[in-house]
Amino acid sequence: MGEVIVVTSGKGGVGKTTTAANMGTGLALKGKSVVLVDADIGLRNLDVVMGLENRIVYDLVDVVEGVCRLRQALIKDKRYPNLYLLPAAQTKDKNAVNPEQMQKLTGDLTEEFDYVILDCPAGIEQGFKNAIAGANKAIVVTTPEVSAVRDADRIIGLLESSGLRNPMLIINRIKMEMVKRGDMMNIDDMIDILAIDLLGVVPDDDLIVVSTNKGEPVIALEQSLAGQAYRNIVRRLTGEDVPFMNLQSEDGFFAKVAKLFGLNKKR
Amino acid sequence: MTENAVIFKGTKEGLFVILKEEMDLDTIKSNLGKKIKPSKRFFEGAKIVNFKGKNLTQEEFDELKEVMEQEYGMTVIGSNNDRNFDIKDVHYGRKQSEIIEQLPSENVHTGEALIIRATIRSGQLIQYDGDVIVIGDVNPGAHIKATGSVIIMGNVRGIIQAGANGDYSAFIVAHKMQPAQLRIGDIITRSPDRLGDMDNPEIAMVNQGMIVVEPYLKK
Repeated sequence: MGEVIVVTSGKGGVGKTTTAANMGTGLALKGKSVVLVDADIGLRNLDVVMGLENRIVYDLVDVVEGVCRLRQALIKDKRYPNLYLLPAAQTKDKNAVNPEQMQKLTGDLTEEFDYVILDCPAGIEQGFKNAIAGANKAIVVTTPEVSAVRDADRIIGLLESSGLRNPMLIINRIKMEMVKRGDMMNIDDMIDILAIDLLGVVPDDDLIVVSTNKGEPVIALEQSLAGQAYRNIVRRLTGEDVPFMNLQSEDGFFAKVAKLFGLNKKR
Repeated sequence: MTENAVIFKGTKEGLFVILKEEMDLDTIKSNLGKKIKPSKRFFEGAKIVNFKGKNLTQEEFDELKEVMEQEYGMTVIGSNNDRNFDIKDVHYGRKQSEIIEQLPSENVHTGEALIIRATIRSGQLIQYDGDVIVIGDVNPGAHIKATGSVIIMGNVRGIIQAGANGDYSAFIVAHKMQPAQLRIGDIITRSPDRLGDMDNPEIAMVNQGMIVVEPYLKK
């Protein structure tokens, strides 16, 4: 039986889809069989981020409504043979499926895959309820902004009350120079408020924009800091004990990581 | 959600097995197995005073008793007829009133309290007819509403409302007071926009029609 992980946040634009895409790719790189499920019906993005948009024939709603078989709707990734995508419908909305149907769907998927990763829509309405219905693990993504942390807190409360205990936290798009200057919330403050386990911290990285537009997850890019952070997250997910990157060092986090890869800062 | 159909509870009188009301006998039996089997040695030889919770017919009771005794080597002492005394029923009787008499009466408060050991998160509303004690933080966007007093053993960043029925003698205590708002009775205050960092526990009380927040541990 595979694991069903929902990636959620409450607030939009914090990087749920990017996180889901990178985690999925990372797990696939580690040889796991993975299916990414886009639960954001009506506003699908995951296919674009994965660069698989032009291959969609059937979608999640078609599967749920019995228009096609599950196998037919799964899109095999163009780079990694054990990575699949189940795209969302674009012409329907969140009410096209209900939590029971999602439970059945994820149940069917766990029989074939090691990991089922659900990309949750923003908000706490029907779409959120659908996405978490079949999950047995939750990852909450937040950015270092008061509003995003507030929404993450609300989401954690909702997850816990629906039985998804101990969600894990990913802090996304942190800018260490700003934190150092005191212009951005620091990691400890966020963990203090949210009081859940930290799975990883992903630094803000211009390469994310590039890779998203190209449809190639950044995790595969050796030189990317965000990619490194996602690789660490994936290793932690698979049970490895990976120390957090030293973000607070005097040397500056970027310089240090760059040194690690033998690169200079500019690149 | 059949995990907790069965709970073992130790009391002064001995070990009880609490059975959830809505569970059928088969679920209970399989749950018993799940609970006992991993630590069979621990349970072996244990004396169960009685079953509690769900009403059992005599046949059901006998069946459960047999399972416990034959399969798990435990002894069930009670019978199906004397299952009616309440575990929680501990009376301090006279002792409690003695203590109260020794103390200045205005500093003693008795009543029902709700005790929560969790973080109260954004969007969560706790409403209680009585006192509320939170062992954990109250986050921004969370709301606690009590007719009595509120005690937070943690950081307060949300809205706390004490004495919601208009009781001005209610108070609010917190380890770290950084609330969005405090309300006692119908009096509302908000935090000053520039909040000093107080590391001391503080108490909020009504004084001359205003909510006053001050440290309660004199140093």
